[in-house]
Amino acid sequence: MQRRKFLSLVGLGAAVLAVAPAAVRAEDYRTLKPNVWKAKTVEDAVKAMYGTTTFIEKGVKVTTPDVAASGGAVPVNVQSDIPAKTVSLFQDANPESAVIVFEPGKYSIINYDLKMKLKSVGDPITITVVVEGLDGKLYSGKRTLDVALGGCEG
Amino acid sequence: MKVRAKLRNGIVSVKTMSKHDMTTYDMAEKKTGDRNNANFITHIVATVKGETVFEASTSQFLSKNPILKFEFKGIGAKGDKVEMSWVDLKGNTGKGSSEIK
Repeated sequence: MQRRKFLSLVGLGAAVLAVAPAAVRAEDYRTLKPNVWKAKTVEDAVKAMYGTTTFIEKGVKVTTPDVAASGGAVPVNVQSDIPAKTVSLFQDANPESAVIVFEPGKYSIINYDLKMKLKSVGDPITITVVVEGLDGKLYSGKRTLDVALGGCEG
Repeated sequence: MKVRAKLRNGIVSVKTMSKHDMTTYDMAEKKTGDRNNANFITHIVATVKGETVFEASTSQFLSKNPILKFEFKGIGAKGDKVEMSWVDLKGNTGKGSSEIK
């Protein structure tokens, strides 16, 4: 019994240690702001993330193809020269809106490429990128595209 | 995870691919009947010499085996290591590193 108790404690300790590095380093916005990831609309997601939906609509460049051949991996590029705390990407086709939140540090250049899934909904899809500047203001950029074949159906 | 890092004109650009199915809630429900079987990478970090050079919280909507590219400057010489790791919804982790070329 004693031994078993000891072993379970050791197991628990190891689990905590294994999780710790990521938790210490990271401002994980999934745990910090869980509602962002559940929001069904861009507006709700942005509100959950930043508390407002007032943007300055400049300084953020979002590039995608005009028509994505497959929704399984749509290439997106995000660029900005604004010194930023966070850069977050939302879209209005998938069941939930939030896709990714980058946290630039002092070494980062805001020039991100990623591939994302987009559901084909028949209508043009809008990707909204919000840059939270170190000055406390929100800047945004938008890009509208079509998806020929959806990526979320599986 | 695969990592490739290149130094050019003082800027290090990194390309990375994480091997992960990135199962969305909808896909999990369709395939297994249970939304709780969804699993995807939730956080990705890159460091050079212990300093964070990239960090992102991610959702189910990154592509399968997601590819990311990012850049940084002011740290990292040729031969330095870029170390990356991810953690997913179920607590699994992945790692990868590369020397800056």
